[in-house]
Amino acid sequence: MNDTIARSILVVSLVKVVVLLFLVLTAVAYLVWFERKVAAHIQGRWGPYRVGPHGLLQPLADGVKFLLKEDATPAGVDRFLYFSAPLLTMTLAISAIAMIPFGPASIHIFGIATPLVIANISVGLLAIFAITSVGVYGVALGGWSSNSKYSLLGGLRSSAQMISYELSLTLSVVGILLLAGTFNLSELIMRQDGYTWGHLPKWNLLNPTFPQILGFFCYFVAAIAETNRAPFDLAEAESELVAGYHTEYSSFKFAMFFLGEYASMITVACLASILFLGGWLSPFPQTPGLDWTRYLPAGVLAVAGVALIIHGVRYINVFGRIALPVLGVILGALSFLCSQPGVIDDIQGPFWFLAKVLFVLFVYVWVRWTLPRFRYDQLMRFGWKVLFPVALLNVILTSLAVVMRK
Amino acid sequence: MSGNLAQAYAPLLIHLLVALGLSAILLILSSLIGQHRPTREKMQPYECGITPVGDAREPFDVKFYLVAMVFILFDVEAVFLYPWAYVFRELRWFGFTEMLLYILILLAGYVYLWKKGALDWNPSKTQRDRQT
Amino acid sequence: MDTAAFRHDFFLILPEVELALFGLAILLFDFMLGVKDKAGNAVFAMLGVIFSGISLYRLRTFGPEAVGGFNSSIVVDPFFLFFGMIFLVATGLVILLSVRYLQIENEHHGEYYALLLFATVGMMFMASGYDLVVLFLGLETMAISFYILTGFLRHQRRSNEAAVKYLLLGAFSSGLLAYGFSLLYGISAMAEINGPLGVPLQVPRTNLDVVRTALELRGPTDLLVLLSLVTVAAGLFFKVAAVPFHQWAPDVYEGAPTTITAYVSVASKTASFALLLRLFLYAFWPVRVNWVGIIAAVAIASLTLGNFAAITQTNVKRLLAYSSISHVGYILLGLVAAMSGPDGNETGLKGIAFYLFVYAFMTIGAFAIIIVLRRQGLIGDELDDLNGLFQRSPASAVLLLIFMLSLAGIPPLAGFVGKYYIFLALIETGHYYLALFGALYIVPALYYYFRIVVHAWLREPTGEAPTRVTPGQSVALAVMCFVTLVAGIYPEPFIRLATYSLTLPSVLFGR
Repeated sequence: MNDTIARSILVVSLVKVVVLLFLVLTAVAYLVWFERKVAAHIQGRWGPYRVGPHGLLQPLADGVKFLLKEDATPAGVDRFLYFSAPLLTMTLAISAIAMIPFGPASIHIFGIATPLVIANISVGLLAIFAITSVGVYGVALGGWSSNSKYSLLGGLRSSAQMISYELSLTLSVVGILLLAGTFNLSELIMRQDGYTWGHLPKWNLLNPTFPQILGFFCYFVAAIAETNRAPFDLAEAESELVAGYHTEYSSFKFAMFFLGEYASMITVACLASILFLGGWLSPFPQTPGLDWTRYLPAGVLAVAGVALIIHGVRYINVFGRIALPVLGVILGALSFLCSQPGVIDDIQGPFWFLAKVLFVLFVYVWVRWTLPRFRYDQLMRFGWKVLFPVALLNVILTSLAVVMRK
Repeated sequence: MSGNLAQAYAPLLIHLLVALGLSAILLILSSLIGQHRPTREKMQPYECGITPVGDAREPFDVKFYLVAMVFILFDVEAVFLYPWAYVFRELRWFGFTEMLLYILILLAGYVYLWKKGALDWNPSKTQRDRQT
Repeated sequence: MDTAAFRHDFFLILPEVELALFGLAILLFDFMLGVKDKAGNAVFAMLGVIFSGISLYRLRTFGPEAVGGFNSSIVVDPFFLFFGMIFLVATGLVILLSVRYLQIENEHHGEYYALLLFATVGMMFMASGYDLVVLFLGLETMAISFYILTGFLRHQRRSNEAAVKYLLLGAFSSGLLAYGFSLLYGISAMAEINGPLGVPLQVPRTNLDVVRTALELRGPTDLLVLLSLVTVAAGLFFKVAAVPFHQWAPDVYEGAPTTITAYVSVASKTASFALLLRLFLYAFWPVRVNWVGIIAAVAIASLTLGNFAAITQTNVKRLLAYSSISHVGYILLGLVAAMSGPDGNETGLKGIAFYLFVYAFMTIGAFAIIIVLRRQGLIGDELDDLNGLFQRSPASAVLLLIFMLSLAGIPPLAGFVGKYYIFLALIETGHYYLALFGALYIVPALYYYFRIVVHAWLREPTGEAPTRVTPGQSVALAVMCFVTLVAGIYPEPFIRLATYSLTLPSVLFGR
């Protein structure tokens, strides 16, 4: 009896893992496309346009290119470390998503009900931070093992930057823990259920005891620095150190570093929306007057589908004239599916969660293409002399507020 | 209880193994599929077109070590803050004052580091003159 | 949380807390002092030591029983009061001696005094700890402060080398000690023990009472017990520089700043002995039968090597390092006597405590003369630098004579009384051969101690002007000389102090 339960859990988990990894890798690939498009429009140009309609097949083309490129391993590298660094980075980057809950509902796989999270462990938050902390090894080892001065310096700088900001990252979350008293991510979201100050949702950002605005600021900035993104990307900026720790990597190993960076970006965005923005909770109160908000997912998909159809039939080339309307019809069908009584309740959670994650990612990309790059000593000064005291101050103030409320 | 623990963590293990396997497969795949035409110029480490001179693993600046050391100190502090935050609601004022004292002691160390210049990545000219 | 209980516990650790706060304050206030005013740090440190001493004095009202605090992880008993007093006095003396020395060396930073105070905090926890974890923490706090202090003369290669050697060997031995502690924890965690009144234990299994009971249950011939004893002993023998583990001592003593040499050779040794006594006289008491022989062997080895190696030394600091190894031998002989017999031997305990007490004063005194000799262009630790001290500075020469006689064990000075009690205890417990060896080894000791005296009194001076002694150093020297003389001529009050200190009552179970 126990054996069959164990086996069924194994099979169900395996299915969930495979599906999630597939989705995450696709999401990472299309995040690259999203970034290139947004960057382009910020800079007043089109971005990828030719490879498939609106560049939608660009990620596929890039993937194929990375696979087929020559894998030139420079002389004098430390072979074991050289190969294990990108492996480590990518594995850890896509592993942290295992603890993220996507919604409150349970789905049924092979008849077994299972929640929308792979590992709903009681210390989920801590596990995610543990995994991202080990990710520093990938950077340091990658820089060291490539037999190049640029790589070494870039790797050292990157890892020094990552550990400096990791401190503020872990501290900025302590405020959330004080308010919630649990590490479990699903429970953290449940604590943010409800409404306060009139009709504002009780997300941690607007917590009635002590709004975690400082915490969110610290977390977001630290997360950008932790993932080595602009304006904190001096360690891999082209004009500075060629490409930092991944100078000597080519073909798919470089792609793995690249994917690892974007995957950790997604993890951080998911965590930001769970911790500060209420996760899969809807911002609208569930009162009868606002019942129409339950049709928002369906509505959004319908609008997108119709817009795609209308735009697609007037697209430049033939491929686009066929592909885009088909995509639009698919979106319309999905929208119809989302308004059915069976699906409409289950789809609320993932929809709002994905919306918030997308918003955070958009801000991420927006920040990258708006702000100029920090110089490295400015970066370190900011991390140690500004962010760390602010995070500590947040902890003290939050604990004061919590204890005064009792 | 331990069965419950295994039930909760087994999916994480599966996820890690699948992720590792996937990355390994992709790595091996790329080595197999791509071309292999090594030439002397391609095998050299890249230094903006000039020929690299000397071993790449030279001694590097001690300030990296200093950053790592200071990180360890304050990371241990943050680690102690986590279980405290977990049980904080039961501890009330006593817990608050205890942790405040703890943070203040570490803050004294932090102020010391700041004044000594351990947190400066590049000492300015006046600081360099003062140090000697 | 019960605030009354917390206030009680806090009162118990008030000496350590005050020292730590003063140390932190020195670190911060150092930035506000100009280069000329760095002596203010020393004043601050001295204030800290005085306040801590007052708090320690106020703790004596708890009487001869032991009072446990923080869930019986620290204990305040006469043992702690005695050793705490020794540490504070040693720290105070070293602070007084250091000011001028550091000014001459040009390394007069506030961190020195802060580290001294932090080391003292560590030492006091080593004496008052009642839980393996607290003992280890105290040991490490003290040790790390000492590693830094040993390398304090940053521009001298000797000092850097000494610090690195001390760090490496100290870290290794702390690792061994931690391994022994983990084995002890394993033994006590596996044992089936109930607390007093039969209820389940309320204290963690690393508490010394629990460890002692567990060892009693396992018996002295058990393999785990033996292994844990070996590793703990190895770690602790390193710290006191007993013979197979003494290699660090001469180099560290020679390279460190002389004030730190004095401090390490006194305070670190005394604190490590406090830890050793707490463990061997209390936690390992039930399994001591096999160990008396080994400790005797280590003691004889230390005596032999210490005395014979010191004969050929020309550097006074190295000479005193080897001689301190021989003193460790004497103290270990006292431990052998104290552990012999079914109930131990009280004379042995008295001898150890008294010896540690006077050892502090006479050793710091001996080093103090070298410290006073330091001036521009003369480091002062070679034997030839002492030539003609009597002509240059008669007072220093007389003090040197007193301290050397005391170290050699000549009546009517304090060193003699200490050795007397140890030999008495050895004879009382039937270790005649050990007593004979101990007495015989006084002969080489006399040789090298008197060699120093000969250089100071009978050689022609090679140096120049007489040395300048600051008021602080004079006070320190006066105190040490006073204690050395008085404890030798009229030892009664000090013996009573030593007797009072070495009752080791249990905290949980009552003895």
